[in-house]
Amino acid sequence: MWRYILKRLAQALPVVLGVIVFNFTLIQLAPGDPVTLLVGDYPATEEYTRQVRADFGLDQPVPVRLARYLEQLARGNLGFSFANRMPVGELIAQRFGPTLMLMLTALGLAILIGIPLGVIAARNRGRLSDWVAQVGALAGYSTPDFWMGQLLILIFAVALGWLPSQGMRSARSVATGMQATLEVFPYLILPAFALGFRYIALLSRITRSAMLDALSADSVMGARAKGLSERRVLIAHVLRNAALPIVTVIGYNLGLLIAGSALIETVFSWPGVGRLLFDSISKRDYPVMTAILMMVSITVVIANLITDLVYAALDPRVRYAR
Amino acid sequence: MKKLTRRTFLKVSAGGAAAAGLAACTPAAPAAPAATAAPAAATAVPAGPARGGTAVIVMDSDPDTLNLGVTSNYSSGDVGAKLYNGLIWVDTNFGIKPSLAESWTISPDAKVYTFKLRQGVTWHDGKPFTSADAVYTFQEILGKFHPRSQALVKRMKSIEAPDANTLVITLVDPYAPLLLQLNVFEAPMLPKHLFDGQGDVLKNPAGLKPIGTGPYKFVEWTKGASVKLARYENYWEKGKPYLDNLVFPIIPQAANRGTALETGEADFLASFYLPLTDVERLSKSDKLNQKRGIAFPAIYFMMMNNATPALAKKEARQAIAFAVDRARIITQANAGIGRIGRGPFGDGFKWLLDPAVDYSKMYPRDVAKAKSLLDAAGVAAAADGTRAKLRLVVDSARAPFVTAAQIIKENLKEIGIEVEVQAVERAVMTQKVYTDRDYDLTLQSFVSSGDPAIGYHRLYVTTTTRVASTNATGYSNTVVDGLFAKAAVTPDQGARAALYVEAQKILADEMPTLVLYDDDTVNFASKKLAGVFGAIDVRDRWEDVSLTK
Repeated sequence: MWRYILKRLAQALPVVLGVIVFNFTLIQLAPGDPVTLLVGDYPATEEYTRQVRADFGLDQPVPVRLARYLEQLARGNLGFSFANRMPVGELIAQRFGPTLMLMLTALGLAILIGIPLGVIAARNRGRLSDWVAQVGALAGYSTPDFWMGQLLILIFAVALGWLPSQGMRSARSVATGMQATLEVFPYLILPAFALGFRYIALLSRITRSAMLDALSADSVMGARAKGLSERRVLIAHVLRNAALPIVTVIGYNLGLLIAGSALIETVFSWPGVGRLLFDSISKRDYPVMTAILMMVSITVVIANLITDLVYAALDPRVRYAR
Repeated sequence: MKKLTRRTFLKVSAGGAAAAGLAACTPAAPAAPAATAAPAAATAVPAGPARGGTAVIVMDSDPDTLNLGVTSNYSSGDVGAKLYNGLIWVDTNFGIKPSLAESWTISPDAKVYTFKLRQGVTWHDGKPFTSADAVYTFQEILGKFHPRSQALVKRMKSIEAPDANTLVITLVDPYAPLLLQLNVFEAPMLPKHLFDGQGDVLKNPAGLKPIGTGPYKFVEWTKGASVKLARYENYWEKGKPYLDNLVFPIIPQAANRGTALETGEADFLASFYLPLTDVERLSKSDKLNQKRGIAFPAIYFMMMNNATPALAKKEARQAIAFAVDRARIITQANAGIGRIGRGPFGDGFKWLLDPAVDYSKMYPRDVAKAKSLLDAAGVAAAADGTRAKLRLVVDSARAPFVTAAQIIKENLKEIGIEVEVQAVERAVMTQKVYTDRDYDLTLQSFVSSGDPAIGYHRLYVTTTTRVASTNATGYSNTVVDGLFAKAAVTPDQGARAALYVEAQKILADEMPTLVLYDDDTVNFASKKLAGVFGAIDVRDRWEDVSLTK
């Protein structure tokens, strides 16, 4: 198994490298000069512009910059953000926690809500509850998440006043330590739900169809014939078999969450990596942008690997032989 | 050197002159600072404003840096104005008030400025502030890194510190807006001991953990979330600041900034961050005070690329001025906020206005007249009625510009000009307009920073360098250049006005750029805040702000 994992990781290396080179080159070919944004909204002298350009190594041709970038990357240095004027590693470290918290909560919501919804729908196929769940899932899947976010703010923050509209904690808060961590909770609800909404819809739909497939298997008839309780049949026989496509969807669609977080973090002023990515693109902050995309590609590669391993554990037919 | 008193000087200085001019034009102007700076009266506590509490000031993005000496970024200025001091500050009537400079004298030839610096001022790390800090700040930081003040420092022949509390600035030529430009945004004083010999100024840690002499000291900056400051107990203005803490949450989504005020999560929202579409809604809130029109003048305009064949002749540009419905732009694109552009400088500086130059009279909307001017310019109609195809480039993040562009497109269609609106990211817009000049029309805005010589000359002077926020039209008139150059070095305001009047006549005729409207800022503050809006820039003078119960 370890050999398999190592092999998979080795295979991922060129992918990650490709992502870095591709993104690094592509954004530099895009129109828009970061120096014009750095020197501010007032005519800077040419001398000053030249100096800023040189200070951040932007006076070199793209291949030279790429080579330098890869070289420092190999030494574990992610570079210096010129828009934020601080090391990229530090910057991302500050913002990584909030994004992880948001993504995991959204993922948790999706699993805890999406799968039971799908099970209920499959169990009641053709009845009202199935119909409601199906329409709900379709609506959920086709709702843009930033719009959903805005709607949640209007309803739960502005109109009802139940939850805060933005940020991670109250601007006036003086709490520290555990108290500060607990304060985050009410702030997490709306963005996590907005981010997880499409995922809930996706999971409930996949669960429903996988359950229906599994329900029609002969083994289910056998289990029922043995006199097992319906609950037991559903959980031990149906859901277990239906788990394969569900796990696949969860793992392979993790990218959806990462992409969604760029929008949701902006809508809810959530200080995460997604928003940092968005800002770094508009400011042409190449080092930050490349580092985040690299991180995203690594995350996706690892998520896919874990999915495959879980898959193998669930299904004896799939083994990481060779 | 003959000494002038401050009072005498104010009469001839830019700021004072502007104030005098303003006062003359609008004798009934309300005394804004006095009106808002008396919170104690309401609470009947004779001891003065209440102390304590936290005020929450909304921002739209992280500051570029908290070293205010190397940036003109708005958010950096917002936080920086509380952390640092300039030598002076500017009140709502353009009046120049002492800050770190207690007093000053000016030589009769208006070239030598001698500042008496305040004694007993300390940096947030406890070290004393001296003239050596001031000299270092000008020479090594502002002169080399500040986007606006670099040019100012180049006008200085020498910057000297004869003793610890005296600063002498000698100019090459007189420069009218000098004092005004010594405010905290243009010339914040920085601690020499943290920069001298510490390597790259742009990468100095003091940019992230700043030390200033201002009323609030730095506590924490969580990127993407907030910046926190706390009262500096040893601030030189005894008893101030009143607030314990200032917090600046970063709210990138425009619509959510107003929401934060409505829900009480925030207390203050400056015009700069406010989407105009929210003004009407926020105006109805009984929790908020609204303040209109205090800011350094700023104009919104459409540059016309003089290198585009269809725009090369002045008649063609005049035709566009006749065709564009500027009143509709203000109403529909700008939520009714703004004053219709009166002339090449708008109407923000009352003292330099020429009664004869008024675009509403010179260029009223007149399609027939516009068409005949296009004929005169040789921009003839093809068989299908089309005279020209022009690209109108705007920054897609500026919603009012995107709407205005659609209105202009409709307007120009009436005179046979097809407009293709190109709404692009700011980085792309900057490159297309300023670096490549690959555009025909573009919507932009410039802030005057208090004097036309600082902020408006750049719109019309001959510009060969392709730098952002300059004249990208290619328009060049040596007479205008000469008038501007002279106006910048003429200390007497009346004499300056005469020069500007002459320049305005030429510009109104040659129309290199059409001024659409003047900024009319709308700021919102929680009714709990007292003492806000004391300075012309709403980000300044938060040492005077307090919270009522």
